Amino acid sequence: MNLDDELRAALRREDPAPDFTQRVLAGRVVARAKATHQSNRPIFRMAWAAAVAALLIIGLTATYEVRQMKAERAGRDAVLALRIAADKLNSAREKVVRLEN
Amino acid sequence: MRRILLVPFIAVCAAAQLPAQQLRITGLDGLASKAKESADITLDSNLLQMAGGFLAGAGKDSKDGKDAETLKQLLAGLKAITVKSFKFGETGQYRMEDLEPIRAQLRTPGWSKIISSQSKEETSEIYMRTDQGKVAGFAIIAAEPKELTVVAIEGTINLNDLSKLKALGVPSIPVPDKKGKKE
Repeated sequence: MNLDDELRAALRREDPAPDFTQRVLAGRVVARAKATHQSNRPIFRMAWAAAVAALLIIGLTATYEVRQMKAERAGRDAVLALRIAADKLNSAREKVVRLEN
Repeated sequence: MRRILLVPFIAVCAAAQLPAQQLRITGLDGLASKAKESADITLDSNLLQMAGGFLAGAGKDSKDGKDAETLKQLLAGLKAITVKSFKFGETGQYRMEDLEPIRAQLRTPGWSKIISSQSKEETSEIYMRTDQGKVAGFAIIAAEPKELTVVAIEGTINLNDLSKLKALGVPSIPVPDKKGKKE
């Protein structure tokens, strides 16, 4: 086979396969979906990061509030406890002084 | 046989060497239901630290800042404080025997009575606990016909500073009441 025959065979007109159109269309749909998904990805990432940040802020604020409430209650209890202790201490001292006199 | 006898002997010796334990206020649980008013406060070192921080912060901007600082200093030396106080509407709501579990603890080595005033109807006692020659705690028992108070303080506290608390104006420290309002 010479060069002319080879070229003729290679450039010979061939009809496409019967499902060629369907395959091209299907490929185009997949490519479009992929492109849409890729273009949405940064938005999803940002939304996800924002949600995580919001949850973190809410969690930290709630923890701080609970701790603050606990400290407030402890402060109030401590003042009351020391006040009772001081009152009874003074009362005992006064009684001793009264008895000595 | 010798080993069997030796183990309890060592245990007894070790127990004798142990420092006096922190006072546990027991035997008064049933009195709260009979009382007109009662206070049951237990604060461990963590809560006391939180309380100190809160009081210092609350008093920082007020005219009582000095009082808050004094309170913080008082709390700084404490490891724990427990107060059980009952006010009754009538006499005879508690018996002196109810205090026996507490008195039994105060009779153990390490505790010593420093102030005692006893009359027919009233008893006031202050005990001090020492550990290796250092003050490690106090206990107060105040029994009146219609009132019973037991205080256990673990840690170091200056009793003179404590007795001055009222004069320092503790009530004016801006501690919110139960409704969240500040005094």
